[in-house]
Amino acid sequence: MSRGRLALVLSAFAALLSACRTSLLLEGPLSPRPLPSASTGLLAGFGRADITPPAGVGLAGNGPEGRRARGYRLRLYARALILEDPGGNRIALVVADLPLGSALLHRRVAALTAGADGIGVDRLVLAVTHTHAGPGHYFEAAAYNEQGSAVAGYDPGLVDSLSRRIAAAVHEARLDLRPAKAAWGSRRVWGSTRIRSLPALIRNLPLPAPPPDAPDSLAPEYRLIDPTLSMLRIDQRDPVTGSYRPAGAFSVFAMHGTGNASTNELLDADIHGIVERRLERHIDPAPSFVPKAFHLFANGAEGDVSPAWPGESRCGLPIVAPWPMLDGPFTKPLWQWRPVSPAGVAACTHAARLAVDSIGKHLGDEVIALFESLGGALDGRLELARAFSTLALREEAGSLGICSEPAVGMAQFVGADDAPSRLDRWRPLGLLSLGLEQGGPNRKGRGCHGAKHQFLDVLFGSLPNKWIVSKKFPSFAQLSVLRIGNRLIGTVPGEVTTTAGSRMRAGMLAAAGQFGVAVDTALILGLANGNVLYVATAEEYAAQYYEGGSTLYGPGEAAMFARALAGLTTSLSAGDVLPSSAARALDLRPGAPKAILRPRRSAGSKPARIERIWCSGDTLYADYQLGTVEDWPVSGSLVAAHPEVEVLLDNQVVAWDDDVSMELHLRSLRKAPARWQLRWSGAQTGLVYRIRLWNQLASAPTRC
Amino acid sequence: MPNRPALGILSLLGLLVPGACLAAQFEARLDLSSSNRYTWHGLSRAAGIVAQSAVAAGFRSGRLTIATGFVRHHELDRVSPGELTELGTGSGRVGEDDFWAQAGLELGRFRLSSGVVRYHFRGEAPEGGGGPLRNTTEVSAAAGTIGRYLNPTLEAWWDVGRVRGAFLRASATSPVVGWPFEPFFFIALAGEVGLNLGQGPDPARPGDLANFSDRGVTHAALALNTVHRLHHWGGVGSASLSFGLNSQLNFDEAARFNGLGRRNGLILWLSAGVTLLLGGEARVLR
Repeated sequence: MSRGRLALVLSAFAALLSACRTSLLLEGPLSPRPLPSASTGLLAGFGRADITPPAGVGLAGNGPEGRRARGYRLRLYARALILEDPGGNRIALVVADLPLGSALLHRRVAALTAGADGIGVDRLVLAVTHTHAGPGHYFEAAAYNEQGSAVAGYDPGLVDSLSRRIAAAVHEARLDLRPAKAAWGSRRVWGSTRIRSLPALIRNLPLPAPPPDAPDSLAPEYRLIDPTLSMLRIDQRDPVTGSYRPAGAFSVFAMHGTGNASTNELLDADIHGIVERRLERHIDPAPSFVPKAFHLFANGAEGDVSPAWPGESRCGLPIVAPWPMLDGPFTKPLWQWRPVSPAGVAACTHAARLAVDSIGKHLGDEVIALFESLGGALDGRLELARAFSTLALREEAGSLGICSEPAVGMAQFVGADDAPSRLDRWRPLGLLSLGLEQGGPNRKGRGCHGAKHQFLDVLFGSLPNKWIVSKKFPSFAQLSVLRIGNRLIGTVPGEVTTTAGSRMRAGMLAAAGQFGVAVDTALILGLANGNVLYVATAEEYAAQYYEGGSTLYGPGEAAMFARALAGLTTSLSAGDVLPSSAARALDLRPGAPKAILRPRRSAGSKPARIERIWCSGDTLYADYQLGTVEDWPVSGSLVAAHPEVEVLLDNQVVAWDDDVSMELHLRSLRKAPARWQLRWSGAQTGLVYRIRLWNQLASAPTRC
Repeated sequence: MPNRPALGILSLLGLLVPGACLAAQFEARLDLSSSNRYTWHGLSRAAGIVAQSAVAAGFRSGRLTIATGFVRHHELDRVSPGELTELGTGSGRVGEDDFWAQAGLELGRFRLSSGVVRYHFRGEAPEGGGGPLRNTTEVSAAAGTIGRYLNPTLEAWWDVGRVRGAFLRASATSPVVGWPFEPFFFIALAGEVGLNLGQGPDPARPGDLANFSDRGVTHAALALNTVHRLHHWGGVGSASLSFGLNSQLNFDEAARFNGLGRRNGLILWLSAGVTLLLGGEARVLR
């Protein structure tokens, strides 16, 4: 067959495949023109929705190393804050305990809030904490739904449920709008995070220097971070007393949500969940299951920033090996990914949990200190403005200065430098280099992607990327710039590296200065309103570490986003309706729909039964049955009125199922009744405990 | 007449297989495979459409594993005169029943094992097949390592029933591709070299033919195998589909033998199989 004919046949095949793909055309509902409010000052409202899905979903973010969820620890919430100025301009900030941003989710939520709450895509920021212990299956691009976790699939049902819950949180925040005072502040936090791709970062020119106050005792990767914790504190007026009371905060700090080891099997809000709760319980110490305070803890330019967990908190990786035990003399080797030993998994998972708790508490204390320091700076006025645009990355690649086709680098498949995947440094037969390594640029690379080793390009050139890979990634990016008081916030649908974020902030401030926007600080809010993976600088891109390999649109991407954010800074506006071109329709390719979660069979009350309770060391165990495996922990309301499971000591509740020391594991895959095991590591020797289910059924006492 | 050892082992497996699903330390494996050639130690034993049904069960206690299994070799197509066969031109379908047991010790990435195989030939000797007179027993010892790119193994085999002397088999497997996402699939290369270390007729049974004609290298084989995980049942086990493209260079005259009047220096054959793995670590495979 001639090359031309082969190309024709392959093209036809590719066209046939693309015809089979699910395509969604999503409009971008813009906010209506604001109506001036009766208030003369700032209004603020908070809302919250429990978005913890049932077990069975893939835990996204760790790719093939992630597990299928078999229970939960800290519940996942979406927290919403709406700010409104006297002109009726609203800005909704939502931070969800989810792994990655999703334009699909952003637009679906906006479709629900645009009419009801006046919050369209241009006034809605949907950011995520990046916990890698949250569900996948809700992303706008097939690559993320298929390879984001060990459980592949795009689940429209999950998208519907998450959209409704997040929209409900926004709606609740709008109903909660009250006169409020606000104050911005910041604080430097050292020792909790580190640069994970130091060799890539030090390629930047000029060479990044540590901030002047960086402790000399820290290693370079700990000193070269951006340690800034920024916070907007909100106090609301009490409708009864008329006085202003602390209500919550919106914070930004750059840190991956990867405290848990990839072997974790529980849905969990990770370090961010601890930090969120620590401030919320500080503001509202009342012993209610869900506090009345709110802390939206968003991520900044965290692309190359890991929590400061120790090396022993990362687990070994499976290797390809023949199945050993039953490899008899007459059968061929049965190749499998040979798992790490259970003892090894238990050790690293436990070490990770210790690190999560330690970092969470340290950061939480810093957050509380910052919150308290802002009490004297509260002001009832806060200027609000926004700018929003949707970039057509493929169609306008030339004018944007990026590559016209996304390409994922082989460095992306091997995982981050401090958390590699099983493919790290893999060479077929130990000989042939495919580029599956950190810091291995393609020295013969040509074209726009240059230094990037594209998918299997060693064997097949650019064809695999062109025909298989590139169509699975987004072809657009939603960007916005918000002005909130004297701060600018640039939202980016991806994970921006420290240096790229620094350049973006500088660009925004320069534009603001040029056009007379009275702001003194700029922030980058990453993982917001979509996901184009990583955004690394051109220098970092050339080094082809994980972040550079995961920068889809080439070496010009970070500079392009910086220009776009600066451009948006000059077009900040309020009181208007944006042109429809700002939110052009998105052609999404999330992949073939698959019901990862199945609807509940019955909506009746949850059958409950405690089977047994016992202690071992400092851990209290209980086997019990509650509901079905398909149950969402919360359905029919925004948050749970009471816990599902509590631990009682002398009839006093000492822990419940939203506690870092309590794990709820499914014991079997039988759908109904769901058979759970509680493991609570806070027990003390000699004390007598009981557990209580669903606020009703209590166990017999057991002594530890 | 019922084959008593077969019934005994099948009964044992019947007890072990359900146990494998219930207890973490037990594993069971069921294989059904087909090929257009059956070779053993580099010797072609049947050329035609052949099938193997195999069942095995094992127990792991720490680093020690003990496993046992039964394999039945079928010849599915009609055997023509002169064709290489264990069955003969008679009406049967079962050419060979083999029972094996093996103990293994894993020391990190090193693995030592020792085993025994009992061969029962079920063909009809008067019709050109391998009859009960060829029944024998072999014992083996093996040492191997598991590496990221290469898994070499050295095996020594002693026929303690019919002939005397040792046969060495040096083999190595190397994974080429391991796809990390579901559905998992693997591509691997496998090579082996056989060496006859003086295996020859038993002086006590001078009428029996030795397995090989000469000392020295008997054959060298290379195969490309794929394994595709079809399904994983959480908490139970998994099913896999395998394909193999096999080649072998024959050096020993016995290895070249390919039926009456036929000699092949190079043989090629295809194989395919389905494997069920139940219990043990297979329950939590990813």
